[in-house]
Amino acid sequence: MATVQIRGVTKRYGGVQVMHGVDVDIEDGEFVVLVGPSGYGKSTLLRMIAGLEEVSGGTISIGGRVVNDMLPKERDIAMVFQSYALYPHKTVAQNMGFPLLMQKRPKAEIEEKVRKAAEILDLTKYLDRYPRQLSGGQRQRVAMGRAIVRDPQVFLFDEPLSNLDAKLRVSMRVEIKELHQRLRTTTVYVTHDQIEAMTMAHKIVVMRDGRVEQIGRPLDLYDRPANLFVAGFIGSPAMNFLEGRLATRDGRRVVETADGTALPLEGAAAEDGRRVTYGIRPEHISVGEGGIPVKVSVFEPTGSETLIFGRLGGQLIDALVRDRIEGEPGQTLPFRIDPRRAHLFDTATGVRL
Amino acid sequence: MRLKRTGFGWLLLSPTLLLLGLFGVFPFLYVVWVSFHEWNPFAANPEKVFNWANNYRALVFDRGFLASLGVTLAFVFFAVSSQVILGYLLAQAFMRDFPGKAFFRTIHTLPLIMAPIIVGSVWKLMTTPSIGIIPYLLRNTVGFDLNIGTSALAAFVITVIMDVWHWTPLVTLSLIAALVSLPPDPFEQAQIDGADRWQIFRHITLPMIAPALIATVFIRLMDAMRTVDEVLMLTGGGPGSATRFLGVHIFKEVFPRTNYGYGSAVSVIVLYLTIVVCWLLYVGLIAPRTTRR
Ligand SMILES: Nc1ncnc2c1ncn2[C@@H]1O[C@H](COP(=O)(O)OP(=O)(O)OP(=O)(O)O)[C@@H](O)[C@H]1O
Ligand SMILES: [Mg+2]
Repeated sequence: MATVQIRGVTKRYGGVQVMHGVDVDIEDGEFVVLVGPSGYGKSTLLRMIAGLEEVSGGTISIGGRVVNDMLPKERDIAMVFQSYALYPHKTVAQNMGFPLLMQKRPKAEIEEKVRKAAEILDLTKYLDRYPRQLSGGQRQRVAMGRAIVRDPQVFLFDEPLSNLDAKLRVSMRVEIKELHQRLRTTTVYVTHDQIEAMTMAHKIVVMRDGRVEQIGRPLDLYDRPANLFVAGFIGSPAMNFLEGRLATRDGRRVVETADGTALPLEGAAAEDGRRVTYGIRPEHISVGEGGIPVKVSVFEPTGSETLIFGRLGGQLIDALVRDRIEGEPGQTLPFRIDPRRAHLFDTATGVRL
Repeated sequence: MRLKRTGFGWLLLSPTLLLLGLFGVFPFLYVVWVSFHEWNPFAANPEKVFNWANNYRALVFDRGFLASLGVTLAFVFFAVSSQVILGYLLAQAFMRDFPGKAFFRTIHTLPLIMAPIIVGSVWKLMTTPSIGIIPYLLRNTVGFDLNIGTSALAAFVITVIMDVWHWTPLVTLSLIAALVSLPPDPFEQAQIDGADRWQIFRHITLPMIAPALIATVFIRLMDAMRTVDEVLMLTGGGPGSATRFLGVHIFKEVFPRTNYGYGSAVSVIVLYLTIVVCWLLYVGLIAPRTTRR
């Protein structure tokens, strides 16, 4: 087990810079999730930690040692690829034992460790099969098994669940979390699925365009997103954004939209007239007396809750309510916003106010 | 499907079957039949005389044949193994990027499109002691006198080198095709799993290209067993019988000596030997892999 420090790391491919100074500190035993939309450098960062990709600038240290110039095999890390990267010509047992075979461990020890890992992962029945004789979920577990037999300093996962169907993804998510609770190995986990990030991480690193947008605990990111990007990325369904200006009405601070609707606020440390973006999560809107009238376009009942899409002036707003609300598209419903749950961002810079 | 039950499928196949029968099966059966006869059209009795398996029995005691078999196997071994090793190294080199790669890859395949008879004559020109560039260079640089007309070893080595020059590109091409189609992930995974370059080759690359490699070795093996024209052109099978490979041996039995029955028997034996060698290779390399699955 080890800490991982990423300090001012940059990455250039020829003339194109794809990573612009990333700093992340990972504690011993921590489960850190890198999230961000596609193509924004998550895999690149992970591959740099693994040593598959050279670092153009800055340093990466594992367990206090700078590893910039070390080969992957010297870093004592295990990695699970999105494609699982199983060796097609080796059986499950040979796949899982391969890292140990490379370390020239005795045969008995390899067999013992593979057997143990197979028990943990429920693969005992499949040890003599070849990867092509396994289902996607089983292959995924073999890849995990190959990672855990080594007892490495750090686990690296690159979207390990994205090739699985939704149901399996949920159960594997739980399995990985259990595995981490059992082994307590420092883990860096890449995903673009924010639910995976929220449920698994001790700490989330939100990346965009080769930069870190925010680092924090899942609920901190949910409660206090540092900017519009993080606010929109974390949480599902995504936060509503309404543009307007700060104003004072009847002695209360509000955000006034273009059509004159006043959105309630609780304390705002900025001057009147400033252009701001008002953020409110769909789950923090209820339908009831005294709400802001919103023209509803679509109702989406899911059984346990109802998602209501509407328009306020020209701007989209949706609400997620626990009650079963039935209505006609085009009707007007009163949306009640909890002012304590509202977020305020500077429209020009996107930064939280 | 109705196609399967009606004879329509066979009708569609009939031109191919006809050609195959006419040019493949019939001549083969004819050769087998001839090999059981004494037949020399220019002898006192030009008729075919059935002589049971006498041609085959004679083969076993024929020093010329046995010597020929020995040099052929040595030739096949040295030529094919050099081609596989060299071809693999070249294929790996062509997997990297270097300036002029496309150019080198193209010229390196040129020997493949040359007819064996041309290859033989070009090499003959290059190795003839008084006019050839190779003896000239060897004499002027290391002071070695290369004369494939008198030195049995030199002649043998030059035939191997010529075959390697001619056919290595085939191995390279098929291995390049195999290498580019490999997924990159297992190689990265192996690096992470702690394998060094040799271990990656042994545990990942080799098993993954094995099907292509084995197919290529088969093709080369069968071709090398029946090498005739290049060698006939270069050394004529000499000096002595140093390069009298089986193909050359048959040629000399059949054409100058018009010993058709005996030549046919040697041909059948060569076919048989080729099948045996391939079968041994199959049993040794492929069968254990497939039955394990
Ligand atoms: N070998 C390469 N050469 C040039 N550019 C590259 C190379 N590899 C990646 N990139 C670029 O680096 C950027 C980051 O890629 P990366 O694979 O890290 O994204 P990602 O966040 O993992 O995306 P995804 O969620 O789709 O996997 C992309 O814009 C990509 O085009
Ligand atoms: Mg990626």
